[in-house]
Amino acid sequence: MSNANPFYGRRKSRSNLMMGLCMAASLFGLAWLVMILAALLWNGVSGLSLDVFTQNTPPPGSAGGLLNAIVGSLIMTALGVVIGTPIGILAGTYMAEYGAHGKLSLVVRFINDILLSAPSIVIGLFVYEVMVVRMGHFSGFAGAVALSIIVIPVVVRTTEDMLNLVPNQLREAASALGMPRHLVIRRIAYRAARAGMVTGVLLAIARVSGETAPLLFTALNNQFGGANLNGPMASLPVVIFQFALSPYKDWQQLAWTGALIITLSVLTLSILARVIASRSRQ
Amino acid sequence: MNMTVAQSAAVSSARPMQPAGAQREMPNAQETAHEKISVRNLRFYYGDTLALKGISLPLYERKVTAFIGPSGCGKSTLLRILNRMYDLYPGQRADGEVLLDGENILSPKQDKNLLRSRVGMVFQKPTPFPMTIYDNIAFGVRLYEKLSKAEMDERVESSLRRAALWNEVKDKLGASGQSLSGGQQQRLCIARTVAIKPEVILLDEPCSALDPISTAKIEELIDELKAEYTIAIVTHNMQQAARCSEYTAFMYLGELVEFDETSRIFTTPSDQRTQDYITGRFG
Amino acid sequence: MADTSFPGPLAGAAHAAPARTAVLNRFRLGNLLFLNLTRAAAVLVLVLLGGVMVALIEGAAPALREFGFGFVTSQSWNPVTEKFGALAPIYGTIVTSLIAMLIAVPVGLGIAIFLTELCPMPLRRPIGIAIELLAGIPSIIYGIWGLFVFAPFLQTTVQPFLISLFGPIPLLNAVFAGPPYGIGMLTAGLILAIMVLPFITSIARDVFSTVPPVLKEAAYGIGCTRWEVVKNVVLPFTRVGVIGGVMLGLGRALGETMAVTFVIGNAHKISASILAPGTTISATIANEFTEAVGDIYTSSLIALGLLLFVITFIVLAIARYMLLRLEMKGGK
Repeated sequence: MSNANPFYGRRKSRSNLMMGLCMAASLFGLAWLVMILAALLWNGVSGLSLDVFTQNTPPPGSAGGLLNAIVGSLIMTALGVVIGTPIGILAGTYMAEYGAHGKLSLVVRFINDILLSAPSIVIGLFVYEVMVVRMGHFSGFAGAVALSIIVIPVVVRTTEDMLNLVPNQLREAASALGMPRHLVIRRIAYRAARAGMVTGVLLAIARVSGETAPLLFTALNNQFGGANLNGPMASLPVVIFQFALSPYKDWQQLAWTGALIITLSVLTLSILARVIASRSRQ
Repeated sequence: MNMTVAQSAAVSSARPMQPAGAQREMPNAQETAHEKISVRNLRFYYGDTLALKGISLPLYERKVTAFIGPSGCGKSTLLRILNRMYDLYPGQRADGEVLLDGENILSPKQDKNLLRSRVGMVFQKPTPFPMTIYDNIAFGVRLYEKLSKAEMDERVESSLRRAALWNEVKDKLGASGQSLSGGQQQRLCIARTVAIKPEVILLDEPCSALDPISTAKIEELIDELKAEYTIAIVTHNMQQAARCSEYTAFMYLGELVEFDETSRIFTTPSDQRTQDYITGRFG
Repeated sequence: MADTSFPGPLAGAAHAAPARTAVLNRFRLGNLLFLNLTRAAAVLVLVLLGGVMVALIEGAAPALREFGFGFVTSQSWNPVTEKFGALAPIYGTIVTSLIAMLIAVPVGLGIAIFLTELCPMPLRRPIGIAIELLAGIPSIIYGIWGLFVFAPFLQTTVQPFLISLFGPIPLLNAVFAGPPYGIGMLTAGLILAIMVLPFITSIARDVFSTVPPVLKEAAYGIGCTRWEVVKNVVLPFTRVGVIGGVMLGLGRALGETMAVTFVIGNAHKISASILAPGTTISATIANEFTEAVGDIYTSSLIALGLLLFVITFIVLAIARYMLLRLEMKGGK
């Protein structure tokens, strides 16, 4: 009956057109994800072999692996997370528990959100200025510090959000037993928010494990293995960067393989984080 | 007993009653009970809003005092002053006096944690901590006492027995407190409160989230607990107040309208507003 | 039911009270320590930002003293004569970000509309997650994919088509002037678009879900079509938040480094054609910093970093302010 009205018909087809475009946009967005993953699998899998995990990066024109890069990435990521997580959790705790409405929290929240999306290359420059220049050389430790500066805002944000989800009743109930504030936070609120906070740390690890820009001029690179934090250190992203832009086929292949390894670990971490988060919500 | 409103009004005018706040010599000293808590001219502010307008009343030792009144009358607010729970939030403050065994707990010198270990509280919604049943109880105890494993086991058991929960959970003390049913969770919270040996127990609508059977269990429990504790209970349910308490305070719009023995409040209230409320004219 | 062996509160209080007072000081100290520890950590976040600012200003000072305001207006970038100007990277940054936003904003909003209004319930979560996974892929992956897969594809198909399509049209033929290199500003802009898409989508989805259902129902109630509801209710209600999300995406696009570095071509020149190679602020730093010799060269690169930081700071601050405003509106 309303279809008989030509005016309504026009409105309806216009609506259908726009909604069709929205659906097309979604397909378009998903298509990229599929294409990127397909290209990674296609180009990366062929280079996967045991050598990748047991050999160091080769000189141009010869075969080798990514052992030193993987080890370096693991060390710097772990150290960055170890440095950044406690600071992030403590700062997030202050904002959610002690100074929720205070001026300090308001400012820190604002600044933290900006740090969260600040260009990571600037963090690299900062650490170069305050550590590399002062120490006189590039080092894995400087790389780890740069990564920790990226970890902090992620952890601050999730810690604050997750603590805010803890019902106040739980805090009141704990206080009603004569429990001092710091124990209410550490023993009750942390426990209730634990899954969410773990999610935050996982997301932070996922974020830094692919970071390249902050490592370029802090950890630099190291053709040979070695876990010396006081010297230059290789990392997967930086090796991918160098090898991909090189003219050598062997290096380019290793870059693809490294890219596949990084992507798979990052996706695994993000999915794991989501699973933990949704489990805890139930 | 069947009095008309007019009659009851006549009775109340025959019995000289001071306005709200001045019933210190009240109620009749049939059993000269000790005043565990004395509230004197208590005012409370949420920011600039005056939420309690000068309340005075006693809480007698080892008696149950019920607070009734329509939503927003300030009864929960009053309860939360008695253990200074309001201190957790900025912008809330109280003045006047609340004496616990003669000591003013509103004084800045009062240690809030110590106060709360003496004045326990059970909340509207059950709030088990995210840990095992055993730890839910042991946790609060460990704060103030160093007990051996055997002593702690005994304390956990006796607290759960007191809360009439032991038989239901004794085989699963390691299970999460959150796995229990609502009524069981609430009894766990009571056990947790009892375990740290408070002197006063505040119950803030403890049954409003529970089914009738669980409610009956909790009421039974209150009846047993009053042998040893001073109890204050906020409730929406007038039958509950009538069943459980010796004294009842009726509050309205931040004022204490009437405080008296429960039997008298529910039969011959002296204030018209109390009469209206208990007969269901408003609220 | 009650256990009679349980000591009464009075018996308990008599021996418990002194023991309790003993632990109170420990509690007070513990709380004071923890409070100050957390506060120190919060302050550290501020100090970090301040530190980044100070370190960059300090590092950039020699170049800024040398070139003054000319640093942002000069086009020359000559390590041999040690004359440095940031105009080409600034131009490249703006052009690539603009291309990215032109594509990512409509597509991102479209996806968000699809997810909140159209998508069948069981598909919402998986699609939402897939889009967010796109955000989690590290930028270096986009870079290597862009260099080896996307750029050759553009070079052989899209770019020749664009050149022949716009060739006869004045003005536009300058924007799409050949030859098709594959790499260049258009490629960088397209990759940036893919990268910021998930940010815009997820924020838009979040702000769209703040629209009170009654508002939408009221509009449907008077016979609005889906699109009319989106256009007349959802978008106006969330305008501030959507702008915030777009600004956030812009902040990302401006500062994105690795993906751009792979495909921008790294040429210090300003070309009208978006098919030509160029450079961006972040790509210049990434490419040249470790090889820079001489204090002025290094300092100029740090000055670029400072410039980038200030620009993104402003953009992100506006974004956050907008989102905060929507949040407050939703809260009331």
